[in-house]
Amino acid sequence: MRALRRFFRRLTSWTTTHQDEERLQAEIEEHLAFQAAENVRAGLSPTEARRQAALKFGGLEAMKQTYREQRGLPSLESLIQDAGHALRRLRMAPVFTAATVLTLALGIGATTSIFTLVNAVLLKSLPVANPAELYRLGRENHCCYQSGYSQDKEFSLVSYDLYKYFRDNTQGFSELAAFPSGQLLFGVRRSGNSEAAQSYPGEFVSGNYFEMFGIGPYAGRMITADDDEPGAPPVAVMSYRLWRQAYGADPSVIGSIFNFNEKPLTVIGITPPGFFGDTLRSTPPDFFLPLNAEPFVESDADLTKYDTHWLELIGRSRPGVTPASIETQMRVELKQWLRSHWGEMGPGDQAKFPEQTLFLSPGGAGITSMRDQYQHWLQILMMVTGFVLLIVCANVANLMLVRGMGRRRQTSLSMALGARALRVVREPIIESMLLSLAGGAVGIAIAFAGTRLILQFAFPSLPGLAGVAIDASPSLPVLLFAFVTSLVTGVAFGIAPALMAVRVDPIEALRGSSRATTRTGLLPRKTLVVLQAALSLVLLSSAGLLAAALESLENQNFGFEQDHRLVATMNPKLAGYRPAQLSLLYKRIHDSIESIPGVSSVALCLYSPPGGGWGSGVSVEGHPAPGPNDDNSSSWDRVTAGYFQVIGTPILKGREVSEEDTATSRKVAVVNEAFARKFFGNEDPIGRHFGRTQVASGEFEVIGVAKNARYFTQDLNQPSGAMFFLPETQAEYAQTNLGSLFLRDIVIQTGPEASVPFASIRQAVAAVDPGIPISSIRTLREQVSSRFTQQRLLARLTSLFGALSLLLASIGIYGVNAYDAGRRINEIGVRMALGASRGHIVQLVLRGAFGLILFGLFIGLPLTFVVGRFLGSQLYGTNPYNPGVTLAAALVLGFSALVASVVPAFRASRISPLEALRAK
Amino acid sequence: MKDKTAVLQGTLALMVLKTLDVLGPLHGYGIARRIEQISGDLLTVNQGTLYPVLLKLEQEGSIASEWGTSENNRRARLYRLTRSGRKQLRAETKGWEQTAAIIGRFFAVKAGDLK
Repeated sequence: MRALRRFFRRLTSWTTTHQDEERLQAEIEEHLAFQAAENVRAGLSPTEARRQAALKFGGLEAMKQTYREQRGLPSLESLIQDAGHALRRLRMAPVFTAATVLTLALGIGATTSIFTLVNAVLLKSLPVANPAELYRLGRENHCCYQSGYSQDKEFSLVSYDLYKYFRDNTQGFSELAAFPSGQLLFGVRRSGNSEAAQSYPGEFVSGNYFEMFGIGPYAGRMITADDDEPGAPPVAVMSYRLWRQAYGADPSVIGSIFNFNEKPLTVIGITPPGFFGDTLRSTPPDFFLPLNAEPFVESDADLTKYDTHWLELIGRSRPGVTPASIETQMRVELKQWLRSHWGEMGPGDQAKFPEQTLFLSPGGAGITSMRDQYQHWLQILMMVTGFVLLIVCANVANLMLVRGMGRRRQTSLSMALGARALRVVREPIIESMLLSLAGGAVGIAIAFAGTRLILQFAFPSLPGLAGVAIDASPSLPVLLFAFVTSLVTGVAFGIAPALMAVRVDPIEALRGSSRATTRTGLLPRKTLVVLQAALSLVLLSSAGLLAAALESLENQNFGFEQDHRLVATMNPKLAGYRPAQLSLLYKRIHDSIESIPGVSSVALCLYSPPGGGWGSGVSVEGHPAPGPNDDNSSSWDRVTAGYFQVIGTPILKGREVSEEDTATSRKVAVVNEAFARKFFGNEDPIGRHFGRTQVASGEFEVIGVAKNARYFTQDLNQPSGAMFFLPETQAEYAQTNLGSLFLRDIVIQTGPEASVPFASIRQAVAAVDPGIPISSIRTLREQVSSRFTQQRLLARLTSLFGALSLLLASIGIYGVNAYDAGRRINEIGVRMALGASRGHIVQLVLRGAFGLILFGLFIGLPLTFVVGRFLGSQLYGTNPYNPGVTLAAALVLGFSALVASVVPAFRASRISPLEALRAK
Repeated sequence: MKDKTAVLQGTLALMVLKTLDVLGPLHGYGIARRIEQISGDLLTVNQGTLYPVLLKLEQEGSIASEWGTSENNRRARLYRLTRSGRKQLRAETKGWEQTAAIIGRFFAVKAGDLK
């Protein structure tokens, strides 16, 4: 207790240092005066009395020192003293300080900026109550639909009926909520407003969705279980963002009627500002509707189908219940539910029944589709920025070493005078810490700007819609990361100069002058340059590999024409169309657009390339029926007449979809080369029949084979898969609930010289029906290039960081060479006096420089192979050990090194021998 | 004797406390004189060593100090015992007496006494 009190007194004592010194001085004075007075009374002369008093008091300075040490906390005070000293020294070298802080800021800023993304995409939980209690069904993301009664690997998507079975029987969850796996768009307009409908992303949620997340309303109320009953008055909840941006936070929005796909619903509340739903994605939902409103709003209701699995589940576990026990219970429930539908199951589903199982995984981060998508991308960027930071450290360490060399004499003098080694080491370390913390502070500003820029490019948001819910402004974990990175960086580049400081021999101070006997300090500096060269090579070759991969992606043979093609995307479903009305609508849209001057032809389709396609199984007439484990999958597209000519995909055999294919003529299909090879091998597919069911049926007759075109249904590095194209006129319009009936892309071919304003396309569609929302119009080239946004950003960022690292490495090489040449000035003088030519001297210096670079390349080369492997899937099939790229990187590095060493070499060669020999 | 100063300081602290207990508020010189009178030569050479001890005791809260006037009208810093200092003195006196008694008995015992 007493010790504690004393500690606090000492801790705060430095505020009163000056006062205390004065007080002690006064007390001593008084003491001596008392003693002197007494001595005088004893008969001594005043002078002698004073002298005796002082003698009796003892060593004044030693006493003061003890007093001071007792008074405060000397270690803390000297730390502050050292920091002040270091600050003064840095102020005296403004260029060095500015250059170092800026370099550090670039390195720390780049790393922090990528970490902001890593934190948001890979680490962060949803902004909901106690995210650690949440568990979701499924280990992987299997968006968006599964049909039938079996799922491969794991049962991760469920139908509404199966959800209710889980919800009502699983005791381990206090709440189990459901929402669709895929994202939906609603055509929304406020009732009574004459303006055209806008499409907004939204989702259907179970009645307990908000309660499960622990999310209360910002205004109004949230959806409850009572709203999610069949026959309940249809309601919707709006996002805070939309309420603010589109309706100016107008309170009258709550309680008013909005039309969703032309169906009236009452908006009952506003979600709180930070809430972005269950999934981090670039288009967070703006509306939440109860699941039971789905049949009312959507023309193709999924809610009532037992075997259409489209819902994700997230539940909040009860306290004390382990996820493993819930999992076990749900597995039993799954089997019970499947067994109760045994009669409806096909033989394939029945065969797969024993292996059906499910898994729970932590659900605090929600549905992590973005995590899966961006993980590797972010890892690469994190690695790249880490390398940049290492190079920055090496550069700054180099600068610090030079400073350390300059301070050598001072250091050795301090040591000779008895300075403790600890204090001597501490000085450069404190200096590096101050520098790196300053660099970190500036770096946070750079990170903020950088993150905003990257977000803008990586997750472009459509005008009027919300962007991805990633905040560029630094949060607590980001600040902590920047702080720790700065500290680690500071130690990393401060340790070498510090170690050098203690190795200083006190005798050097006595020897004086710069004629040092050792060349310590050059070896660590050379090592750093070698390291920089190696890392630069790795970054440059990574940048080269990624650029080459992007190049091959963008310039591949797509199998369709990109010039003079426009694509307008619409959604007639959002205007409340019924399937029976669609065929006529398409015809009218087609004719309306085709009559625009400059348009040469128009076709509508479900998906235009490089978008995907719908999936289906295929069975060929005359071939044995495919077994349950055979791969008979193909994707397909629905197109109007003349589509292949409009998009520019050549027909290799037979004919394309044309006007002669009508609802009443025989059903036909055009297949691509991959389809022909997969299902017909060497046989001629023309005139053959295939069907989309498991049992062989002759549903479609093949009338043509089209060249493979890139429809990226899978990863970008997969070759073109099997695909077939069906005429729109032969669609199953009698079925009322097929999503594939709603064509969304209008492909427009324009004349070679014509320019068609986008507004005239909008007008042409509005002339048919102003209620159809057009979500985007762009050229086909833009549509293709937007598919590679991430790849382009990765390649550009890596190139940028590669260039930065090259610049830093060149500065490092220049520094070491210039310094080395400077130290060898005597030697150069002697050589020249003995007859060496200038050329020899240039060679001498260059040889030293290139030795370092070669060594760096030697170390960097194997690293580039390792990194090439790590880049892996981001290279889209291009060779990760591309010798051309590595060679180019090495050449660029070599050239920069040459430029960086030529200057000091020529400067050295221009020294006159006399001057060189005279120099100290 | 590495710990000589520590031992000295500990002893001095106790003497300071006892002095203030007996004589009441007193300035540094007065404390030094009193200790000198009673202990003989402990402080004869190094009166100055008293001040770090006074500081430590004050930091611990055992004594308090303020500027005042001495008996012969000189300005002086007067130290006085605090309540916690009195408690500490009592505790340490007891401990010191016990230690002294034990050590005393130990030295009094002769080899033959414990047969």
